[in-house]
Amino acid sequence: MAYPYVSDHEIRIVSKYFGDPKQRRVETYVERGGYKALEKAFEMGPQGVIDEVKGSGLRGRGGAGFPTGVKWSFMPKDSGKPHYLLCNADESEPGTFKDRELMRWDPHQLIEGCLIGAYAIGAGHVYIYCRGEFFEVNQILARAVEDAYAKGYIGKDIFGSGNDLEVTVHQGAGAYICGEETGLMNSLEGKRGQPRVKPPFPAAVGAFGMPSTINNVETLAAVPHIVENGGDWYRGFGTEKSPGTKMFCVSGHVNKPGNYELPLGFPLMKLIEDVCGGMRDGRALKAVIPGGSSVPIIDAEESARCNLDYEGCIEVGTMLGCASVIVMDETADIVKQVRRMVDFYAHESCGQCTPCREGSSWTAQILKRIEEGRGTEEDLDTLMEMTQQMVGTTICVLSDSVAAPVQSSIEKFRDEYLALIRRGERVGAA
Amino acid sequence: MAEMVTLTIDGKEVSVRKGTTILEAAKQVGEEVPHYCYHPGLSSPAMCRMCLVEVEGAPKPMPGCVTTVAEGQVVNTQSGEARHHRQGVLEFYLVNHPLDCPICDMSGECYLQDYVHAEGRKHGRGREPKRVFGRDDFGGDVLFYGDRCVMCTRCVRFMSEVEQDHRLTVVERGNRSVIDTFFDEGLDGTHFHGNVVDICPVGALVSKDFLHKARAWDLTHTPSICTSCSQGCNIDHHTRDNLVQRLKPRENLDVNGWWICDYGRHNYEWMNHGDRLEAPLVRGGEPSGAMGWGDALRTLLERAADKKGSVKAVASPFASNESLGALKRLVDALGGGDIVYRSPRAEDEVTLEGFPTLVRRKDLSPNTGGAGRLGMKRVGDDEGHGGLENVANHDGVLIVLGDGLLDQAEAFGADAGLFVYLGTHGSAAAAEADIVLPITSHAEMEGTFTNYEGRVQRFWPSLDAPGMARPAWLVLGALAAELGRGSVVKTAAEAFAALAAEAPAFSGMTYDDIGTRGAVVNESVSLTGD
Amino acid sequence: MSDAPFRNPGWAGNTGEFDLTEEQVRGDDFVGERPKDGGHPSGAGALPYMLAEKEPEAELFEGEYQERFEKILTRYPTKQASLLPTLGLAQELRGYLSPETMDRCAELLDLSPAYVRGVATFYTMYNKRPVGRHLVQVCTNISCNLAGADEVVDAFLRYTDTELGETSEDGNFTVIEAECLAACGFPTCVQINSRYYENVTPAEVPKLCEHLKAEGE
Ligand SMILES: Cc1cc2nc3c(=O)[nH]c(=O)nc-3n(C[C@H](O)[C@H](O)[C@H](O)COP(=O)(O)O)c2cc1C
Ligand code: SF4
Ligand code: SF4
Ligand code: SF4
Repeated sequence: MAYPYVSDHEIRIVSKYFGDPKQRRVETYVERGGYKALEKAFEMGPQGVIDEVKGSGLRGRGGAGFPTGVKWSFMPKDSGKPHYLLCNADESEPGTFKDRELMRWDPHQLIEGCLIGAYAIGAGHVYIYCRGEFFEVNQILARAVEDAYAKGYIGKDIFGSGNDLEVTVHQGAGAYICGEETGLMNSLEGKRGQPRVKPPFPAAVGAFGMPSTINNVETLAAVPHIVENGGDWYRGFGTEKSPGTKMFCVSGHVNKPGNYELPLGFPLMKLIEDVCGGMRDGRALKAVIPGGSSVPIIDAEESARCNLDYEGCIEVGTMLGCASVIVMDETADIVKQVRRMVDFYAHESCGQCTPCREGSSWTAQILKRIEEGRGTEEDLDTLMEMTQQMVGTTICVLSDSVAAPVQSSIEKFRDEYLALIRRGERVGAA
Repeated sequence: MAEMVTLTIDGKEVSVRKGTTILEAAKQVGEEVPHYCYHPGLSSPAMCRMCLVEVEGAPKPMPGCVTTVAEGQVVNTQSGEARHHRQGVLEFYLVNHPLDCPICDMSGECYLQDYVHAEGRKHGRGREPKRVFGRDDFGGDVLFYGDRCVMCTRCVRFMSEVEQDHRLTVVERGNRSVIDTFFDEGLDGTHFHGNVVDICPVGALVSKDFLHKARAWDLTHTPSICTSCSQGCNIDHHTRDNLVQRLKPRENLDVNGWWICDYGRHNYEWMNHGDRLEAPLVRGGEPSGAMGWGDALRTLLERAADKKGSVKAVASPFASNESLGALKRLVDALGGGDIVYRSPRAEDEVTLEGFPTLVRRKDLSPNTGGAGRLGMKRVGDDEGHGGLENVANHDGVLIVLGDGLLDQAEAFGADAGLFVYLGTHGSAAAAEADIVLPITSHAEMEGTFTNYEGRVQRFWPSLDAPGMARPAWLVLGALAAELGRGSVVKTAAEAFAALAAEAPAFSGMTYDDIGTRGAVVNESVSLTGD
Repeated sequence: MSDAPFRNPGWAGNTGEFDLTEEQVRGDDFVGERPKDGGHPSGAGALPYMLAEKEPEAELFEGEYQERFEKILTRYPTKQASLLPTLGLAQELRGYLSPETMDRCAELLDLSPAYVRGVATFYTMYNKRPVGRHLVQVCTNISCNLAGADEVVDAFLRYTDTELGETSEDGNFTVIEAECLAACGFPTCVQINSRYYENVTPAEVPKLCEHLKAEGE
């Protein structure tokens, strides 16, 4: 029994036990060396853990790629207040499906990572904010946390170290924006999940008004391995500036879509051809969105030059985001897909900021009109200019995410828009 | 001394207190940074994105409402970039806005209209069908025109933060967001909800009472003081055609902040009542009948001449400090006597939880504070009735100032040697008066009231006085002067100066000092009569 | 390929090359639901709240549900923070959040009803209207869309003879489009009540629906 697709190119650290349901049992996890890193972390002391993670070069896997150790070091040392660690398990970025797998195959790995992180930043309570739709995952997590409590890995005086840590699984209720860190905090507090104005930053005023740190599931899942094997070991994978391995979520028109754990810096074409078994039905590649729907689309030529790490993606004018690689072949209807993504943002905008609230739905309306063959060339200018007004002008970057696919697709696939406008019919659609 | 920060805004250097926001600092150099969601009396969500300004060195435009000043900062609120941002935001606002200004109550004082007019694009690019929410009755005095809403959430924040009764909320999210109450619950039963109409920057929340009553540009605004309780909220009278059309709060952080209660807001129709006393009237003896002021006052003095020494007076706590002071001078000049007043009293106070300085006081008159400080005695019950037994049958000089005597029998004052009635309206009891003198209401004169805490506050005339009606201080002051007490006072300021010269509580105060924000009386003087 | 997609155990089992049973994927420990009283308080707020069986008149709360509610309260420094799990609990019982339900939750947590309505309407998973026994949510976002999700939606609508958002005449199905369900590698993903069905093709839809219908009988 194996996880659907595996590849020889993979370096399976966090995904090692994908496909093995036994790994969910606390006994198995411990048998295989689990919760050793936590014990070691207690010996290293909080600063020791932070230094090790800093040394590993681990960067946040939630999208922004901010160095995790540095983020942890922003937490005040003697605030005298409760601190919180929030695990961002709200995975909803279109194209991303790694956190769900990480949690349902290896929940204890995440729990251990959370405990180590909490210990490092002086937090007494971890909230795992898990996406509401993940009913199954929520139950798996609840069960795993319960078991870890029973075994004494969570709770009072863990390993007799005097350290008390609590973990609560908090289930969301359907809102992409609760993946944004401060939206998540508001949601956790029982409010509408609207992002907050920063500053103040979470390390100063976070969940329940207390110093808080928020990390993605994949980020925290890597932490026990780093603590156990050392930061230098982790640096041995990936590139200088983007060290380590990363889950790549490949979807779209490839033969073997799925999650693959690869060293950062892996070439995009190699991922498509060698890891994912090439393009579906041998068709030609048209476009790739390498980091989830919020990053600019690249065309086939740019894809050929793209190495999948934070810097490599920037070089070809896009971003690694959460490494959600959406592959489109020559049959893909770019305008329709961009419209569908913008519909998503319009649906998910929290509605606070005027440019985002009005701009996202207006953009969707114009795109729909173009798609239906009722567009004009001026519409494209309007789209370019108007989406530019949505960049950098709002509380969070959801608004910027609307601009990314729209602007990049108009730049790179203008012909498809024009064809629809001119002929009033769709190109690419079979 | 607070720490100061010096920065440059639009080329002008300014020093402000540390912690001040750019938006507030800009006000000090005379630049208004356009905004919708920011309101000084509420928290700042920085969500409308209108107040984005260019801060040199910052990677992105910054929201002026929450970004605090920094030493040496260079801010541009009117640069091409800042204007470009605002133009963009304004265009977004108009994507779904109905632009029904011709039938919108807010037209003429609408911030969307103003800003679009000033900085918006010449031609809209929106071609899509607009979103439609329609209208909703929010209960109380509030109607909601959903399509005009700019989603600033000021109304929601007012109800949750200031009134602290979370009746309004944003329902749904994104572009489907709309303001609503809990289904049919509405705003009924809350006491300050009228303020949401005031702070709504557009015509989304409108007053049912004011609906389609007047256009903003036809209204004259006159600063005044609310007369509905002794809090003394600062307000403006909005008038047209010599009628008060509505009352609006006027900012005064020491008294009412930006707010007023619903009770006070809607209690203005009485100022518009017709059927006024318009000419002096003299009864019994010669001369008698309606006559000019000169003849009436001369007759009064003649008839009073032999009645000196036994005076009783009833004053009204709706009369100004100046008028009460003049009454006191006249009573003294006639030999002295008791002055009483009556005032209705509510069972409970209502506090505005988020701005607890503002309380709808139990005492429902604007100037019991003045009357008490002038040694006048409160009588009667909580309805403001009764308590005049000793006065009703007085056989000397009886003066009634402003109390309409509505609860009194026709025989009131029948035994008086001379019964002088100064009022705005007649009544059955007043019909017995020997001399009836028409005076102005506070809306028709300049003057001051003293509120519950002894704050003296000025008001200005917003309506023309009917017929020959004159301010009571003018009439009473002339009579007192004629009898040798004080000099003739020709203006409200002089009347106040005369009061300040005589009454220790007001000593040293002048109209200039009081200004538009009020000043507190000399508190070493004890209150009596209440 | 297995004969029925409903045996697809809520994960990428049925890609054509793999054919695993529910047990093989879930592991024997994890088949079946968590206890109604929520088990350990740490996970009491994380239970499925989209179930086929609904009891619109159910008490909020009593018995095991009251226990669970009380456990949830212990996990947060503020009462307000229990709002989302509480609404979930209410929906688990009653199937949707009526005004009366929101009002009751507000009362339980000392919040204003309008506030609760504001929060409840922010989140898409709270049903503001009654839905069919099976709420079918088809992901039509980009990755599933590239794989033909629109046709899967059509297939559901055809089978149930409904329009989007409408409940079928027999009360069994309400079909809606969903945003990305985070199963992009296994398109098309369909969430039916609290469970994911992945790699769903239009051809499988009738069989899947038949199965769901039979489950209730
Ligand atoms: C609109 C929006 C949605 C986001 N959604 C997620 C999400 O679903 N999961 C996630 O881990 N991070 C998400 N993020 C990123 C988080 O804000 C945050 O950067 C991240 O959780 C930090 O964790 P990391 O440092 O471990 O990456 C989102 C950000 C934005 C602006
Ligand atoms: S940018 Fe959009 S999603 Fe983000 S806070 Fe503003 S309105 Fe909400
Ligand atoms: S809200 Fe302002 S812009 Fe809108 S219709 Fe009314 S006056 Fe016109
Ligand atoms: S109704 Fe008025 S005050 Fe309330 S959110 Fe809308 S525009 Fe703002």
